[in-house]
Amino acid sequence: MGFKLPRSLAKGLALSLLVATASFGFTEGTDYVKLEKPIANADKTLIKVFSYDCPFCYKYEKAVTPVIVPKLPEGVTFRPFHLKTKGKYGETASQLLATLLIKDQDNGIKSVFDEHSQFKKAKMAYYNAYHDKKERWDAGADAFLETGLKASGLSKAEFDTAKEDPRVKALLAEWDQSYEVAKIQGVPAFVVNGKYLIKTASITSPDSMVELIKELLTK
Amino acid sequence: MNFFKSVWQEFKSCPIGAIAKWQDARFLWLVMAGASIFLILVAHTLFQHYVYMKPCEQCVYIRFAFLCMAIGGLVAAIDPKNIALKIIGYVFGFWGIIQGIIYSNKLNLIHHAAHSDNPFGVQGCSAEPRFPFGLPMDTWAPDWFKPTGDCGFDSPIVPDGTVLSGLQQFLVDFYADGWYLFPASHSVNMAQACLFAYIVCFILLGAMFASWIVKLIKTK
Repeated sequence: MGFKLPRSLAKGLALSLLVATASFGFTEGTDYVKLEKPIANADKTLIKVFSYDCPFCYKYEKAVTPVIVPKLPEGVTFRPFHLKTKGKYGETASQLLATLLIKDQDNGIKSVFDEHSQFKKAKMAYYNAYHDKKERWDAGADAFLETGLKASGLSKAEFDTAKEDPRVKALLAEWDQSYEVAKIQGVPAFVVNGKYLIKTASITSPDSMVELIKELLTK
Repeated sequence: MNFFKSVWQEFKSCPIGAIAKWQDARFLWLVMAGASIFLILVAHTLFQHYVYMKPCEQCVYIRFAFLCMAIGGLVAAIDPKNIALKIIGYVFGFWGIIQGIIYSNKLNLIHHAAHSDNPFGVQGCSAEPRFPFGLPMDTWAPDWFKPTGDCGFDSPIVPDGTVLSGLQQFLVDFYADGWYLFPASHSVNMAQACLFAYIVCFILLGAMFASWIVKLIKTK
């Protein structure tokens, strides 16, 4: 008789575990982690922390991000955060990309995947040069800047004035939060609502990533 | 010739006894240390500096694993009959090998993800290297342990304006798509070659350790 209680307890426990895992397909720690220092003002967003000199960021740019972002629920914004601490010209890249993102806003371009987005043009030019052409800009930061300016069609003089815009500086200050996130598991780092960092190692397909993002958005 | 014959005879007549005897001598320990140091030197001097193949994150961890094995081998070789030194040798040796197997396996996964259109299922590289026990290897010896290469790629990147010697040019072209044991067919990448080396080391060190334990039990 004495054995009955533990056994039924175990059965009940197993059953409830089964139900729990069936309804919540994702678990904290394996599929995502909660950020100790959340990114401020990031409700209803999917943030991607990236760097031009990260091969996996480029991979995600080609095969994942443009696939998942259109599948996000209505009202959720995708926001790219460039990480300035990685790469020899990380700071310059952040400055130019932040400036171009504000330019896009002013030009009424809503999506960073829009063909006319100057941000996208410069970003892809850096990815292409670094990863496909193995360009390392040994001539210095000016040569690096030139690649992005040329691709986006911005002149050096325009950039020098535009980068002083307080909105650009505010955006750069926001992007400075990237480092704390990148420290956890590297880049690319996807953060939902500024609170939940997706563990990219546990993702198996773009669809499962969308499912996880949807679930985290409701948390 | 006679020396090898007698060594072979000794091994054939009693393999466990022979290996147990050899691990009481310096030679095998020096082989482990020498091979590990040799591989680190080849990676650093030949590939990193001469052929401009910069090390990635897992690559510097792999160097660290070989360094542990080298330390173990050298400590044991001070006096292999001394139980304390021998245990240090085995601990460093096995620990280095196991770490190395884990790093190589991860590098292999990263390599495949980085060279395909499916980046899922692996963690790429960290923002900063993290060595076991929080050892700041990358600040102590940045040229040896700071990851400067791209995650999952090891193709040579020659700085602009560098004048290459004939041999350098040949090696840069030979490994243009990254390091492979057989570059033409892209087979056996650096991770797989390292994994193979660690497995061989594991078998050898395992045989030494097992023979030693068997002998200890027998003589009791």
